[in-house]
Amino acid sequence: MFRYESLEDCPLDEDEDAFQGLGEEDEEIDQFNDDTFGSGAVDDDWQEAHERLAELEEKLPAAVNEQTGNGERDEMDLLGDHEENLAERLSKMVIENELEDPAIMRAVQTRPVLQTQPGSLNSSIWDGSEVLRRIRGPLLAQEMPTVSVLEYALPQRPPQGPEDDRDLSERALPRRSTSPVIGSPPVKAVPIGTPPKQMSVPSFNQQILCPKPVHVRPPMPPRYPAPYGERMSPNQLCSVPNSSLLGHPFPPSVPPVLSPLQRAQLLGGAQLQPGRMSPSQFARVPGFVGSPLAAMNPKLLQGRVGQMLPPAPGFRAFFSAPPPATPPPPQQHPPGPGPHLQNLRSQAPVFRPDTTHLHPQHRRLLHQRQQQNRNQHRNLNGAGDRGGHRSSHQDHIRKDPYANLMLQREKDWVSKIQMMQLQSTDPYLDDFYYQNYFEKLEKLSAAEEVQGDGPKKERTKLITPQVAKLEHTYKPVQFEGSLGKLTVSSVNNPRKMIDAVVTSRSEDDETKEKQVRDKRRKTLFIIEKTYSLLLDVEDYERRYLLSLEEERPALMDERKHKICCMYDNLRGKLPGQERPSDDHFVQIMCIRKGKRMVARILPFLSTEQAADILMTTARNLPFLIKKDAQDEVLPCLLSPFSLLLYHLPPVTVTSLLQQLMNLPQSAAAPAPSNPHLSAVLQNKFGLSLLLVVLSRGEDLQSSDPASESAQSNPWTEVMFVATRELLRIPQTGLAKPISIPTNLVSLFSRYVDRQKLNLLETKLQLVQGIR
Amino acid sequence: MGLVMPLSVCTFSGFFKSFTSPIHVLIPCSEVTSVICGTLHSVDQYLNIKLTDISVTDPEKYPHMLSVKNCFIRGSVVRYVQLPADEVDTQLLQDAARKEALQQKQ
Repeated sequence: MFRYESLEDCPLDEDEDAFQGLGEEDEEIDQFNDDTFGSGAVDDDWQEAHERLAELEEKLPAAVNEQTGNGERDEMDLLGDHEENLAERLSKMVIENELEDPAIMRAVQTRPVLQTQPGSLNSSIWDGSEVLRRIRGPLLAQEMPTVSVLEYALPQRPPQGPEDDRDLSERALPRRSTSPVIGSPPVKAVPIGTPPKQMSVPSFNQQILCPKPVHVRPPMPPRYPAPYGERMSPNQLCSVPNSSLLGHPFPPSVPPVLSPLQRAQLLGGAQLQPGRMSPSQFARVPGFVGSPLAAMNPKLLQGRVGQMLPPAPGFRAFFSAPPPATPPPPQQHPPGPGPHLQNLRSQAPVFRPDTTHLHPQHRRLLHQRQQQNRNQHRNLNGAGDRGGHRSSHQDHIRKDPYANLMLQREKDWVSKIQMMQLQSTDPYLDDFYYQNYFEKLEKLSAAEEVQGDGPKKERTKLITPQVAKLEHTYKPVQFEGSLGKLTVSSVNNPRKMIDAVVTSRSEDDETKEKQVRDKRRKTLFIIEKTYSLLLDVEDYERRYLLSLEEERPALMDERKHKICCMYDNLRGKLPGQERPSDDHFVQIMCIRKGKRMVARILPFLSTEQAADILMTTARNLPFLIKKDAQDEVLPCLLSPFSLLLYHLPPVTVTSLLQQLMNLPQSAAAPAPSNPHLSAVLQNKFGLSLLLVVLSRGEDLQSSDPASESAQSNPWTEVMFVATRELLRIPQTGLAKPISIPTNLVSLFSRYVDRQKLNLLETKLQLVQGIR
Repeated sequence: MGLVMPLSVCTFSGFFKSFTSPIHVLIPCSEVTSVICGTLHSVDQYLNIKLTDISVTDPEKYPHMLSVKNCFIRGSVVRYVQLPADEVDTQLLQDAARKEALQQKQ
């Protein structure tokens, strides 16, 4: 385009602007070139660079393929390699270690690793990190960093064909290249639950390219070249030809009976995975985690139902219906490889679950019941507990087509999750009901023991292991060089879904009915508030013991404050009122749980406060009795009131009696009728309370010598009126009191003559013999 | 049988743990309801129930249950659970529920 080779060659012209414009353009273009391609763009030999890169790519897959020793390479492999490189690069970029998520790691590390050999077939991401590191070590030439977020579900290696003389331990390691994370097991391409293909050669040529998050996929390492998927439902099994459920149990190529020795030889030395055993067997034998595998084999091969028999040479995996070779269901102990069976027997005669986490009281109760049940069964069976048990066990296994749906690893995984949930930092808080219930039971039994002369049971305390709460700050996954953070929500980092805003209704447009309803609601609300305070206050004793010396005064102050709040809530203190009305309290007392709450609060109140409550109750007793007709909860108040009475001075007792009986102020003019008193007397609680008050008054009177002599005693005056009223009341419909104090007869004898005393006794049924 | 269940999930999990004697579980089937009585083996957070040593209250009506000794019942189909009254402390249960409500509020 340019006629001249360089700018310098350009002759100057009159058209300076044009040339300068061109020159500027040149400069700009040069600048653009430099910016885009960099200064090294011209220098570098792209061919060399490409070769270098190509070498690098070949190295990695070759290194990995050596490990598998698999000679076959489909076109899938190449594709897999490309993906694998990408995945590797991705994994390098990830900063955080996703597997350090406590939700997984803790679960995994608590259980013993079933297979301790690195590079074994059974390692999975559920193994502890130590196993993973061990696996990574020998396999890798270079250190791989952390686990990537994404895990590609890649094709399984093609099936091996008949295994004839192949020892499992000689089998080469599975192709690690199928997963981006070196050291993690290959993941099956076929999703769980896929119906199996034909028995001949299942082809796993599909490739699933969608990435899956780490947590979700349980691993499915290839245990054996199962023509049946490991997760076939029983229905699918039935439809598969040659299934033993339909036909004879053993394929004709297999000798029907193998001696235990032969069986042991078949499987001997083989790396038996626990998954081949009947999981149901394992489920019933807790703690029997895969250790004496060899011992298990002969027993298993006796054809217990529900097992996947291991694919020894010539076998194909199948579910065994009761094979003809099985010894008949024994009524006695079956013959067999004696020592092995005996081992098994000694380890798990009866399904005894782990009861160590239970409260000792609970455990005791459970074992008692177990003993009872066992005795019952023993009596029923007659053939011996073990025999009967075993035969039912056998039957159960034989008919169980649902066995082996889950691998042992997966079952362990699920139980790990469940066990994790049992961990608790504060069992008292988390498991409040359970702890307190058994504490109460123990207290009861202890109280009974104190009364009786029985032997003392060991008073074991339940000590639960307390896990320190670790603060795991969740750091979201970040990629290098990216802008911003991924918004990924996981179980440890939940995302707020809904923004709920609480709006309170205005009170203006409510009708009268609504207001009445709201009043009850308000009362309920106040009751619940007070209940929370009450629970806190009841808890203070425990907290006091647990706290340090310096904190205790603060705790006490808090407690006092809460008690005052409770009292205010009860009485409904309104500003500007000297004496609060009874209304608020009466409203609370109309509700069943309000009454129970008052009964529980009373011991915490001061004497004056409690006396005030008692007076208010007495004043409004007929109304409360009427409201209590359905619930009949008032008697629960009797014992706290009685306790309170013993702290009250005589003056209070006197006025209380007046209130209770609604006695007229002046002794002279009796009122025509006293419905208040009748109502009180006709109610169990009312009558009991009255009797208790009278009794207390009598105690005070008799204990105080000064007042005995003085006749013009307010108590005496009141008593005269009281007895008169009592005599007037008709006997019909009088309630039966909860308890009758013993000193009432002597009380009444002071104030009435013999005849009237008898009358009173009869009426109130004061004497035990009359009842 | 020892009960295994998560602690912090629900008050009722701890509540169910404390039972030792048989309980009744009333279950509605599609057409009929049946009462299954058994010893509580375990409960989970969905209140799925596993019972051992079960017996059906009306064996003539449900003869297929005669051979069944243990069962797992999905929590969603249970209509009622009848518990032995002397093993239940309602006051304590209320307190536990209140405490849990307090905890959740905090």
